[in-house]
Amino acid sequence: MKIRTVRHIIKEGAINSYRNKLMSLASVMIVTATLVVFGFFLLAAYNLEGNIKVWKEAPQLQAFCYEELDDTQIQKVEDSIRNNDKIASYYKVTKEEALQRAKEKLGKSSELLDGFGEIFPVSFEIKLKDTAYSKDVVAALEKNSGIKEVNYSQDVIDIISRVSYWVKLGSSFMVTMFLIISIFIISNTIKLTVFARRKEINIMKYIGATDWFIRWPFVVEGVIISVIGAAVAFVISTYGYNAIQVNFSQDLVIASKQLLTLSKVQEVWSQLALYYLLIGTIVGTMGSFLSIRRYLRV
Amino acid sequence: MVELIGVEKTYPNGTVALREVNLKIEKGEFVFLVGPSGSGKSTMVKLLLKEEDVTEGEVYVNGYDVTSMTLQEVPYLRRSLGVVFQDFRLLPNKTVYENVAFAMVITEALPKEIRRQVPMALALVGLSRKANMYPNQLSGGEQQRVALARALVNNPALLIADEPTGNLDPETSWEIMKLLSEVNHRGTTVIVATHEKSIVDEMKKRVVAISKGLIVRDQEKGLYRDEDKNCPAYN
Repeated sequence: MKIRTVRHIIKEGAINSYRNKLMSLASVMIVTATLVVFGFFLLAAYNLEGNIKVWKEAPQLQAFCYEELDDTQIQKVEDSIRNNDKIASYYKVTKEEALQRAKEKLGKSSELLDGFGEIFPVSFEIKLKDTAYSKDVVAALEKNSGIKEVNYSQDVIDIISRVSYWVKLGSSFMVTMFLIISIFIISNTIKLTVFARRKEINIMKYIGATDWFIRWPFVVEGVIISVIGAAVAFVISTYGYNAIQVNFSQDLVIASKQLLTLSKVQEVWSQLALYYLLIGTIVGTMGSFLSIRRYLRV
Repeated sequence: MVELIGVEKTYPNGTVALREVNLKIEKGEFVFLVGPSGSGKSTMVKLLLKEEDVTEGEVYVNGYDVTSMTLQEVPYLRRSLGVVFQDFRLLPNKTVYENVAFAMVITEALPKEIRRQVPMALALVGLSRKANMYPNQLSGGEQQRVALARALVNNPALLIADEPTGNLDPETSWEIMKLLSEVNHRGTTVIVATHEKSIVDEMKKRVVAISKGLIVRDQEKGLYRDEDKNCPAYN
Protein backbone atom coordinates (compact mmCIF):
# COMPACT_ATOMS: atom_id res chain seq x y z
CA MET A 1 0.00 0.00 0.00
CA LYS A 2 1.35 3.38 -0.96
CA ILE A 3 1.80 6.27 1.45
CA ARG A 4 -0.67 8.48 -0.39
CA THR A 5 -3.23 5.72 -0.10
CA VAL A 6 -2.58 5.46 3.62
CA ARG A 7 -3.02 9.22 3.89
CA HIS A 8 -6.25 9.03 1.94
CA ILE A 9 -7.54 6.25 4.18
CA ILE A 10 -6.71 8.11 7.40
CA LYS A 11 -8.31 11.26 6.06
CA GLU A 12 -11.47 9.38 5.10
CA GLY A 13 -11.61 7.73 8.51
CA ALA A 14 -11.30 11.08 10.25
CA ILE A 15 -14.00 12.56 8.02
CA ASN A 16 -16.22 9.56 8.77
CA SER A 17 -15.95 10.01 12.51
CA TYR A 18 -16.45 13.75 12.24
CA ARG A 19 -19.48 13.48 9.98
CA ASN A 20 -21.04 11.07 12.41
CA LYS A 21 -20.45 13.43 15.35
CA LEU A 22 -23.20 12.38 17.70
CA MET A 23 -22.60 8.65 17.52
CA SER A 24 -18.86 9.18 17.60
CA LEU A 25 -19.26 11.24 20.75
CA ALA A 26 -21.42 8.56 22.34
CA SER A 27 -18.80 5.95 21.46
CA VAL A 28 -15.99 8.09 22.80
CA MET A 29 -17.92 8.47 26.04
CA ILE A 30 -18.57 4.77 26.46
CA VAL A 31 -14.92 3.98 25.78
CA THR A 32 -13.93 6.63 28.29
CA ALA A 33 -16.31 5.24 30.90
CA THR A 34 -15.06 1.72 30.31
CA LEU A 35 -11.46 2.72 30.61
CA VAL A 36 -12.04 4.86 33.71
CA VAL A 37 -13.70 1.90 35.41
CA PHE A 38 -10.91 -0.32 34.18
CA GLY A 39 -8.36 2.22 35.41
CA PHE A 40 -10.00 2.35 38.84
CA PHE A 41 -9.69 -1.39 39.26
CA LEU A 42 -6.25 -1.47 37.73
CA LEU A 43 -5.00 1.13 40.19
CA ALA A 44 -6.70 -0.56 43.11
CA ALA A 45 -5.14 -3.88 42.16
CA TYR A 46 -1.79 -2.22 41.55
CA ASN A 47 -1.76 -0.62 44.99
CA LEU A 48 -2.95 -3.77 46.78
CA GLU A 49 -0.31 -5.81 44.95
CA GLY A 50 2.35 -3.30 45.93
CA ASN A 51 1.33 -3.41 49.57
CA ILE A 52 1.10 -7.17 49.66
CA LYS A 53 4.60 -7.38 48.25
CA VAL A 54 5.87 -5.16 51.07
CA TRP A 55 4.11 -7.27 53.69
CA LYS A 56 5.46 -10.45 52.24
CA GLU A 57 8.98 -9.17 52.69
CA ALA A 58 8.25 -8.14 56.25
CA PRO A 59 8.51 -10.85 58.94
CA GLN A 60 5.31 -12.75 59.11
CA LEU A 61 5.55 -13.98 62.66
CA GLN A 62 7.01 -12.65 65.85
CA ALA A 63 7.46 -15.12 68.70
CA PHE A 64 8.00 -13.62 72.18
CA CYS A 65 9.79 -15.64 74.85
CA TYR A 66 8.92 -15.45 78.55
CA GLU A 67 10.78 -12.51 80.09
CA GLU A 68 12.38 -14.66 82.79
CA LEU A 69 14.09 -17.19 80.50
CA ASP A 70 17.85 -17.52 80.87
CA ASP A 71 20.29 -17.75 77.95
CA THR A 72 20.31 -21.57 77.72
CA GLN A 73 16.54 -21.69 77.63
CA ILE A 74 16.51 -19.01 74.96
CA GLN A 75 19.11 -21.03 73.06
CA LYS A 76 16.74 -24.02 73.18
CA VAL A 77 13.91 -21.94 71.68
CA GLU A 78 16.27 -20.64 69.01
CA ASP A 79 17.38 -24.18 68.16
CA SER A 80 13.82 -25.32 67.74
CA ILE A 81 13.16 -22.40 65.39
CA ARG A 82 16.32 -23.08 63.42
CA ASN A 83 15.39 -26.75 63.06
CA ASN A 84 11.90 -26.04 61.85
CA ASP A 85 12.15 -26.70 58.09
CA LYS A 86 9.10 -24.58 57.33
CA ILE A 87 10.90 -21.47 58.47
CA ALA A 88 12.95 -19.68 55.84
CA SER A 89 14.83 -17.33 58.18
CA TYR A 90 14.58 -15.65 61.53
CA TYR A 91 16.01 -12.69 63.32
CA LYS A 92 16.70 -12.66 67.05
CA VAL A 93 15.62 -9.48 68.82
CA THR A 94 17.59 -9.21 72.06
CA LYS A 95 16.35 -7.47 75.21
CA GLU A 96 18.62 -4.51 74.44
CA GLU A 97 17.38 -4.17 70.93
CA ALA A 98 13.77 -4.44 72.06
CA LEU A 99 14.43 -1.65 74.54
CA GLN A 100 16.06 0.43 71.85
CA ARG A 101 13.08 -0.02 69.54
CA ALA A 102 10.67 0.92 72.26
CA LYS A 103 12.71 4.05 73.01
CA GLU A 104 12.60 5.05 69.35
CA LYS A 105 8.86 4.76 69.41
CA LEU A 106 8.54 6.92 72.48
CA GLY A 107 10.92 9.53 71.14
CA LYS A 108 11.26 12.45 73.58
CA SER A 109 10.00 10.58 76.60
CA SER A 110 12.39 7.67 76.01
CA GLU A 111 14.23 8.28 79.30
CA LEU A 112 11.17 6.97 81.04
CA LEU A 113 12.34 3.52 80.02
CA ASP A 114 15.88 3.84 81.37
CA GLY A 115 16.62 0.93 83.66
CA PHE A 116 13.63 -1.10 82.53
CA GLY A 117 15.58 -3.18 80.00
CA GLU A 118 14.78 -6.40 81.84
CA ILE A 119 11.04 -6.18 81.29
CA PHE A 120 11.40 -6.62 77.53
CA PRO A 121 11.35 -10.20 76.35
CA VAL A 122 13.65 -11.71 73.76
CA SER A 123 11.74 -12.31 70.53
CA PHE A 124 12.27 -13.94 67.17
CA GLU A 125 11.09 -12.39 63.88
CA ILE A 126 10.34 -15.28 61.61
CA LYS A 127 9.91 -15.53 57.85
CA LEU A 128 8.20 -18.59 56.46
CA LYS A 129 9.11 -20.53 53.36
CA ASP A 130 5.49 -20.30 52.32
CA THR A 131 2.61 -18.42 53.87
CA ALA A 132 0.59 -21.64 53.65
CA TYR A 133 2.72 -23.02 56.54
CA SER A 134 1.71 -20.26 58.92
CA LYS A 135 -0.90 -22.29 60.86
CA ASP A 136 1.46 -25.26 61.37
CA VAL A 137 4.34 -23.08 62.47
CA VAL A 138 2.21 -21.01 64.83
CA ALA A 139 0.88 -24.22 66.40
CA ALA A 140 4.43 -25.60 66.79
CA LEU A 141 5.69 -22.37 68.33
CA GLU A 142 2.79 -22.10 70.74
CA LYS A 143 3.53 -25.65 72.00
CA ASN A 144 7.07 -24.59 72.84
CA SER A 145 7.23 -24.03 76.60
CA GLY A 146 9.65 -21.11 76.29
CA ILE A 147 7.36 -19.07 74.08
CA LYS A 148 4.76 -16.91 75.69
CA GLU A 149 3.06 -15.39 72.71
CA VAL A 150 3.09 -15.50 68.92
CA ASN A 151 2.17 -12.34 67.03
CA TYR A 152 0.69 -13.21 63.82
CA SER A 153 -0.09 -10.65 61.09
CA GLN A 154 -0.78 -13.32 58.54
CA ASP A 155 -4.49 -13.27 59.19
CA VAL A 156 -4.69 -9.70 58.07
CA ILE A 157 -2.45 -10.36 55.11
CA ASP A 158 -4.55 -13.34 54.14
CA ILE A 159 -7.70 -11.28 54.30
CA ILE A 160 -6.19 -8.53 52.21
CA SER A 161 -4.77 -11.04 49.75
CA ARG A 162 -8.20 -12.50 49.43
CA VAL A 163 -9.71 -9.05 48.97
CA SER A 164 -7.10 -8.38 46.33
CA TYR A 165 -8.00 -11.62 44.60
CA TRP A 166 -11.68 -10.73 44.56
CA VAL A 167 -10.95 -7.22 43.43
CA LYS A 168 -9.00 -8.65 40.53
CA LEU A 169 -11.64 -11.21 39.70
CA GLY A 170 -14.50 -8.74 40.03
CA SER A 171 -12.72 -6.10 38.04
CA SER A 172 -11.79 -8.54 35.28
CA PHE A 173 -15.43 -9.46 35.04
CA MET A 174 -16.71 -5.91 35.05
CA VAL A 175 -14.05 -4.67 32.70
CA THR A 176 -14.77 -7.53 30.30
CA MET A 177 -18.44 -6.60 30.33
CA PHE A 178 -17.63 -2.98 29.69
CA LEU A 179 -15.21 -3.88 26.93
CA ILE A 180 -17.85 -5.97 25.20
CA ILE A 181 -20.34 -3.12 25.50
CA SER A 182 -17.75 -0.71 24.10
CA ILE A 183 -17.00 -2.97 21.18
CA PHE A 184 -20.68 -3.24 20.36
CA ILE A 185 -21.29 0.46 20.61
CA ILE A 186 -18.31 1.24 18.43
CA SER A 187 -19.41 -1.38 15.96
CA ASN A 188 -22.86 0.19 15.98
CA THR A 189 -21.36 3.60 15.26
CA ILE A 190 -19.39 2.14 12.39
CA LYS A 191 -22.52 0.41 11.19
CA LEU A 192 -24.30 3.75 11.00
CA THR A 193 -21.42 5.19 9.02
CA VAL A 194 -21.49 2.22 6.71
CA PHE A 195 -25.21 2.75 6.16
CA ALA A 196 -24.77 6.48 5.70
CA ARG A 197 -22.14 5.78 3.07
CA ARG A 198 -23.83 2.83 1.42
CA LYS A 199 -24.18 4.65 -1.85
CA GLU A 200 -20.63 5.83 -1.77
CA ILE A 201 -19.34 2.34 -1.03
CA ASN A 202 -21.38 1.02 -3.92
CA ILE A 203 -19.92 3.63 -6.26
CA MET A 204 -16.41 2.84 -5.08
CA LYS A 205 -17.01 -0.80 -5.85
CA TYR A 206 -18.16 0.00 -9.36
CA ILE A 207 -15.14 2.08 -10.19
CA GLY A 208 -12.84 -0.67 -9.04
CA ALA A 209 -11.82 0.10 -5.45
CA THR A 210 -10.39 -2.94 -3.71
CA ASP A 211 -12.18 -4.27 -0.65
CA TRP A 212 -9.51 -3.06 1.70
CA PHE A 213 -9.41 0.36 0.16
CA ILE A 214 -13.07 0.59 1.13
CA ARG A 215 -12.69 -1.10 4.51
CA TRP A 216 -9.67 0.63 5.99
CA PRO A 217 -11.29 4.03 6.56
CA PHE A 218 -13.87 2.34 8.77
CA VAL A 219 -11.16 0.66 10.81
CA VAL A 220 -9.44 4.02 11.13
CA GLU A 221 -12.71 5.54 12.30
CA GLY A 222 -13.05 2.94 15.05
CA VAL A 223 -9.48 3.43 16.16
CA ILE A 224 -9.80 7.23 16.17
CA ILE A 225 -12.92 7.01 18.34
CA SER A 226 -11.40 4.66 20.85
CA VAL A 227 -8.05 6.39 21.05
CA ILE A 228 -9.81 9.70 21.77
CA GLY A 229 -11.85 7.84 24.39
CA ALA A 230 -8.63 6.43 25.85
CA ALA A 231 -7.01 9.87 25.96
CA VAL A 232 -9.98 11.38 27.79
CA ALA A 233 -10.05 8.43 30.19
CA PHE A 234 -6.33 8.86 30.82
CA VAL A 235 -6.71 12.53 31.71
CA ILE A 236 -9.67 11.81 34.01
CA SER A 237 -8.03 8.91 35.79
CA THR A 238 -4.60 10.44 36.31
CA TYR A 239 -6.08 13.71 37.62
CA GLY A 240 -8.58 11.84 39.74
CA TYR A 241 -6.00 9.47 41.11
CA ASN A 242 -3.58 12.27 41.85
CA ALA A 243 -6.26 14.15 43.76
CA ILE A 244 -7.08 11.06 45.83
CA GLN A 245 -3.45 10.23 46.41
CA VAL A 246 -2.53 13.77 47.52
CA ASN A 247 -5.55 14.29 49.75
CA PHE A 248 -6.25 10.89 51.26
CA SER A 249 -3.00 8.94 51.20
CA GLN A 250 -2.12 10.15 54.71
CA ASP A 251 -5.55 9.31 56.10
CA LEU A 252 -5.42 5.87 54.59
CA VAL A 253 -2.04 5.09 56.09
CA ILE A 254 -3.30 6.09 59.51
CA ALA A 255 -6.69 4.41 59.18
CA SER A 256 -5.10 1.14 58.08
CA LYS A 257 -2.44 1.23 60.84
CA GLN A 258 0.30 1.68 58.24
CA LEU A 259 -0.77 -1.39 56.31
CA LEU A 260 -1.90 0.46 53.22
CA THR A 261 -0.12 3.11 51.24
CA LEU A 262 -0.97 4.65 47.86
CA SER A 263 1.60 4.86 45.10
CA LYS A 264 2.31 8.30 43.71
CA VAL A 265 0.71 9.17 40.36
CA GLN A 266 4.19 9.41 38.81
CA GLU A 267 4.65 5.70 39.41
CA VAL A 268 1.42 4.64 37.76
CA TRP A 269 0.71 6.95 34.84
CA SER A 270 2.93 5.27 32.26
CA GLN A 271 1.43 1.88 32.95
CA LEU A 272 -2.03 3.36 32.73
CA ALA A 273 -1.24 5.11 29.44
CA LEU A 274 0.10 1.91 27.94
CA TYR A 275 -2.94 -0.13 28.96
CA TYR A 276 -5.35 2.55 27.75
CA LEU A 277 -3.70 2.89 24.39
CA LEU A 278 -3.53 -0.86 23.93
CA ILE A 279 -7.10 -1.53 25.00
CA GLY A 280 -8.39 1.49 23.10
CA THR A 281 -6.79 0.34 19.88
CA ILE A 282 -7.94 -3.25 20.31
CA VAL A 283 -11.51 -2.23 21.15
CA GLY A 284 -11.67 0.19 18.21
CA THR A 285 -10.28 -2.30 15.75
CA MET A 286 -12.54 -5.10 16.96
CA GLY A 287 -15.61 -2.88 16.85
CA SER A 288 -14.80 -1.84 13.31
CA PHE A 289 -14.12 -5.35 12.10
CA LEU A 290 -17.35 -6.59 13.63
CA SER A 291 -19.31 -4.01 11.63
CA ILE A 292 -17.32 -4.42 8.48
CA ARG A 293 -17.82 -8.17 8.53
CA ARG A 294 -21.52 -7.82 9.10
CA TYR A 295 -22.55 -4.80 7.11
CA LEU A 296 -19.92 -4.11 4.51
CA ARG A 297 -20.44 -6.73 1.88
CA VAL A 298 -18.01 -5.70 -0.74
CA MET B 1 -12.84 -7.63 -26.28
CA VAL B 2 -16.09 -9.06 -24.93
CA GLU B 3 -17.26 -12.59 -25.43
CA LEU B 4 -20.17 -14.48 -23.94
CA ILE B 5 -20.32 -18.19 -24.69
CA GLY B 6 -23.45 -20.19 -23.90
CA VAL B 7 -24.36 -17.93 -21.02
CA GLU B 8 -27.33 -18.78 -18.86
CA LYS B 9 -28.42 -16.80 -15.86
CA THR B 10 -31.06 -17.91 -13.43
CA TYR B 11 -31.60 -15.86 -10.28
CA PRO B 12 -31.99 -17.65 -6.95
CA ASN B 13 -35.73 -16.90 -7.00
CA GLY B 14 -36.04 -18.93 -10.18
CA THR B 15 -36.28 -16.08 -12.67
CA VAL B 16 -34.48 -16.98 -15.86
CA ALA B 17 -32.82 -13.76 -17.02
CA LEU B 18 -30.64 -15.01 -19.85
CA ARG B 19 -30.59 -18.24 -21.78
CA GLU B 20 -28.08 -19.59 -24.26
CA VAL B 21 -26.52 -16.21 -24.99
CA ASN B 22 -23.61 -16.13 -27.43
CA LEU B 23 -22.17 -12.73 -28.19
CA LYS B 24 -18.86 -11.45 -29.43
CA ILE B 25 -17.91 -7.80 -29.51
CA GLU B 26 -14.67 -6.80 -31.20
CA LYS B 27 -12.29 -4.07 -30.21
CA GLY B 28 -13.43 -0.63 -31.36
CA GLU B 29 -17.07 -1.56 -31.89
CA PHE B 30 -20.06 0.52 -30.81
CA VAL B 31 -22.90 -1.77 -29.78
CA PHE B 32 -26.43 -1.00 -28.65
CA LEU B 33 -28.01 -3.52 -26.35
CA VAL B 34 -31.74 -3.02 -26.77
CA GLY B 35 -34.84 -4.57 -25.34
CA PRO B 36 -37.70 -3.74 -23.01
CA SER B 37 -37.38 -3.67 -19.24
CA GLY B 38 -36.91 -7.14 -17.87
CA SER B 39 -35.54 -8.45 -21.14
CA GLY B 40 -32.18 -9.28 -19.61
CA LYS B 41 -30.00 -6.41 -20.79
CA SER B 42 -29.29 -5.18 -17.28
CA THR B 43 -28.39 -8.71 -16.28
CA MET B 44 -25.96 -8.85 -19.16
CA VAL B 45 -24.30 -5.65 -17.97
CA LYS B 46 -24.11 -7.09 -14.45
CA LEU B 47 -22.42 -10.21 -15.77
CA LEU B 48 -19.83 -8.11 -17.59
CA LEU B 49 -19.04 -6.26 -14.35
CA LYS B 50 -19.15 -9.47 -12.32
CA GLU B 51 -21.83 -8.01 -10.15
CA GLU B 52 -23.62 -11.27 -10.84
CA ASP B 53 -22.18 -14.67 -11.69
CA VAL B 54 -23.32 -16.73 -14.64
CA THR B 55 -25.27 -19.85 -13.91
CA GLU B 56 -23.71 -21.50 -16.91
CA GLY B 57 -21.37 -20.51 -19.73
CA GLU B 58 -18.32 -18.32 -20.00
CA VAL B 59 -17.74 -14.57 -20.00
CA TYR B 60 -14.57 -12.85 -21.19
CA VAL B 61 -14.08 -9.11 -20.81
CA ASN B 62 -10.97 -7.14 -21.65
CA GLY B 63 -8.85 -10.26 -21.49
CA TYR B 64 -10.23 -11.26 -18.08
CA ASP B 65 -11.87 -14.64 -17.64
CA VAL B 66 -14.78 -13.22 -15.69
CA THR B 67 -16.37 -16.59 -15.01
CA SER B 68 -13.51 -18.04 -13.04
CA MET B 69 -11.95 -14.94 -11.50
CA THR B 70 -11.70 -14.64 -7.73
CA LEU B 71 -13.39 -11.88 -5.76
CA GLN B 72 -10.01 -10.25 -5.18
CA GLU B 73 -9.55 -9.81 -8.91
CA VAL B 74 -12.92 -8.11 -9.49
CA PRO B 75 -11.70 -4.56 -8.69
CA TYR B 76 -8.99 -4.90 -11.33
CA LEU B 77 -11.51 -6.02 -13.92
CA ARG B 78 -13.65 -2.99 -13.10
CA ARG B 79 -10.70 -0.61 -13.29
CA SER B 80 -10.04 -1.83 -16.80
CA LEU B 81 -13.51 -0.69 -17.86
CA GLY B 82 -15.37 2.55 -17.67
CA VAL B 83 -18.97 2.32 -16.48
CA VAL B 84 -21.76 4.86 -16.73
CA PHE B 85 -25.15 4.39 -15.11
CA GLN B 86 -28.60 5.82 -15.52
CA ASP B 87 -28.45 7.48 -12.09
CA PHE B 88 -24.94 8.96 -12.60
CA ARG B 89 -23.62 7.65 -9.26
CA LEU B 90 -21.49 10.64 -8.35
CA LEU B 91 -20.21 11.27 -4.84
CA PRO B 92 -22.35 14.18 -3.61
CA ASN B 93 -19.80 15.57 -1.19
CA LYS B 94 -16.99 15.73 -3.71
CA THR B 95 -16.53 18.33 -6.42
CA VAL B 96 -16.63 17.49 -10.11
CA TYR B 97 -12.84 17.43 -10.16
CA GLU B 98 -12.63 15.22 -7.07
CA ASN B 99 -15.23 12.84 -8.41
CA VAL B 100 -13.22 12.27 -11.55
CA ALA B 101 -9.91 12.18 -9.68
CA PHE B 102 -11.32 9.61 -7.27
CA ALA B 103 -11.35 6.95 -9.98
CA MET B 104 -7.61 7.44 -10.19
CA VAL B 105 -7.03 7.72 -6.43
CA ILE B 106 -8.38 4.22 -5.91
CA THR B 107 -5.92 2.85 -8.45
CA GLU B 108 -3.12 4.46 -6.41
CA ALA B 109 -2.14 6.61 -9.40
CA LEU B 110 0.59 9.20 -9.02
CA PRO B 111 -0.66 12.67 -8.04
CA LYS B 112 1.17 13.99 -11.09
CA GLU B 113 -0.77 11.61 -13.32
CA ILE B 114 -4.03 12.62 -11.68
CA ARG B 115 -3.33 16.32 -12.21
CA ARG B 116 -2.69 15.63 -15.87
CA GLN B 117 -5.47 13.17 -16.65
CA VAL B 118 -8.42 14.74 -14.84
CA PRO B 119 -8.41 18.09 -16.70
CA MET B 120 -8.09 16.17 -19.95
CA ALA B 121 -11.12 14.04 -19.15
CA LEU B 122 -13.10 17.09 -18.07
CA ALA B 123 -12.15 18.93 -21.26
CA LEU B 124 -13.30 15.96 -23.30
CA VAL B 125 -16.80 16.17 -21.82
CA GLY B 126 -16.76 20.00 -21.90
CA LEU B 127 -16.91 20.61 -18.16
CA SER B 128 -13.54 22.21 -17.47
CA ARG B 129 -15.22 25.36 -16.20
CA LYS B 130 -17.35 23.50 -13.68
CA ALA B 131 -14.54 21.51 -12.10
CA ASN B 132 -15.06 23.01 -8.65
CA MET B 133 -18.82 22.66 -8.53
CA TYR B 134 -20.67 19.95 -6.63
CA PRO B 135 -22.91 17.44 -8.40
CA ASN B 136 -26.11 18.97 -6.99
CA GLN B 137 -25.19 22.28 -8.66
CA LEU B 138 -25.22 20.64 -12.08
CA SER B 139 -27.98 19.65 -14.47
CA GLY B 140 -28.66 15.99 -15.16
CA GLY B 141 -26.84 16.10 -18.46
CA GLU B 142 -23.82 17.71 -16.84
CA GLN B 143 -23.80 15.13 -14.07
CA GLN B 144 -23.85 12.35 -16.62
CA ARG B 145 -20.93 14.00 -18.40
CA VAL B 146 -19.02 14.03 -15.10
CA ALA B 147 -19.76 10.33 -14.77
CA LEU B 148 -18.51 9.86 -18.29
CA ALA B 149 -15.31 11.78 -17.52
CA ARG B 150 -14.82 9.55 -14.48
CA ALA B 151 -15.36 6.45 -16.60
CA LEU B 152 -12.81 7.62 -19.13
CA VAL B 153 -10.13 9.08 -16.89
CA ASN B 154 -8.24 5.80 -16.57
CA ASN B 155 -8.27 5.37 -20.36
CA PRO B 156 -10.29 2.16 -20.38
CA ALA B 157 -10.38 0.03 -23.48
CA LEU B 158 -14.07 -0.68 -22.91
CA LEU B 159 -16.87 1.63 -21.86
CA ILE B 160 -20.16 0.19 -20.66
CA ALA B 161 -23.15 2.50 -20.35
CA ASP B 162 -26.29 1.14 -18.71
CA GLU B 163 -29.25 3.30 -19.74
CA PRO B 164 -27.05 6.42 -19.75
CA THR B 165 -29.86 8.65 -20.98
CA GLY B 166 -32.68 7.16 -18.93
CA ASN B 167 -32.94 10.23 -16.70
CA LEU B 168 -32.28 12.86 -19.33
CA ASP B 169 -34.43 14.85 -21.74
CA PRO B 170 -34.07 14.05 -25.47
CA GLU B 171 -31.78 16.93 -26.26
CA THR B 172 -29.36 16.18 -23.45
CA SER B 173 -29.54 12.52 -24.35
CA TRP B 174 -28.24 13.38 -27.76
CA GLU B 175 -25.30 15.25 -26.30
CA ILE B 176 -24.34 12.23 -24.24
CA MET B 177 -24.71 9.92 -27.23
CA LYS B 178 -22.54 12.19 -29.35
CA LEU B 179 -19.92 12.07 -26.64
CA LEU B 180 -20.09 8.29 -26.49
CA SER B 181 -19.75 8.20 -30.24
CA GLU B 182 -16.71 10.44 -30.04
CA VAL B 183 -15.16 8.26 -27.39
CA ASN B 184 -15.73 5.32 -29.72
CA HIS B 185 -14.03 7.16 -32.57
CA ARG B 186 -10.98 7.56 -30.37
CA GLY B 187 -10.74 3.79 -30.22
CA THR B 188 -12.67 2.80 -27.11
CA THR B 189 -15.11 -0.07 -27.45
CA VAL B 190 -18.54 1.13 -26.32
CA ILE B 191 -21.52 -0.92 -25.19
CA VAL B 192 -24.75 0.99 -24.53
CA ALA B 193 -27.77 -0.67 -23.01
CA THR B 194 -30.79 1.44 -23.81
CA HIS B 195 -34.40 1.50 -24.86
CA GLU B 196 -34.27 4.92 -26.52
CA LYS B 197 -35.68 4.02 -29.90
CA SER B 198 -35.03 7.33 -31.65
CA ILE B 199 -31.36 7.37 -30.71
CA VAL B 200 -30.74 3.80 -31.75
CA ASP B 201 -32.49 4.32 -35.03
CA GLU B 202 -30.57 7.50 -35.78
CA MET B 203 -27.09 6.30 -34.87
CA LYS B 204 -27.08 3.27 -37.16
CA LYS B 205 -24.73 1.18 -35.07
CA ARG B 206 -24.63 -2.50 -34.35
CA VAL B 207 -27.79 -3.46 -32.47
CA VAL B 208 -28.12 -6.53 -30.28
CA ALA B 209 -31.75 -7.03 -29.34
CA ILE B 210 -32.67 -9.07 -26.33
CA SER B 211 -36.08 -10.36 -25.46
CA LYS B 212 -37.03 -12.67 -22.63
CA GLY B 213 -33.41 -13.56 -22.05
CA LEU B 214 -32.64 -14.46 -25.63
CA ILE B 215 -30.66 -12.58 -28.25
CA VAL B 216 -33.33 -12.24 -30.94
CA ARG B 217 -31.40 -10.08 -33.37
CA ASP B 218 -27.82 -8.99 -33.96
CA GLN B 219 -27.54 -6.52 -36.76
CA GLU B 220 -24.92 -4.15 -38.12
CA LYS B 221 -26.32 -0.64 -38.64
CA GLY B 222 -29.55 -1.84 -37.11
CA LEU B 223 -32.70 -0.19 -35.91
CA TYR B 224 -34.37 -0.48 -32.53
CA ARG B 225 -37.17 -2.51 -34.02
CA ASP B 226 -36.66 -4.78 -36.95
CA GLU B 227 -38.70 -4.04 -40.07
CA ASP B 228 -39.31 -7.74 -40.37
CA LYS B 229 -42.73 -8.27 -38.83
CA ASN B 230 -42.05 -11.93 -38.16
CA CYS B 231 -39.61 -10.98 -35.49
CA PRO B 232 -40.92 -10.95 -31.91
CA ALA B 233 -42.01 -7.50 -30.84
CA TYR B 234 -40.64 -6.04 -27.66
CA ASN B 235 -43.15 -3.84 -26.01
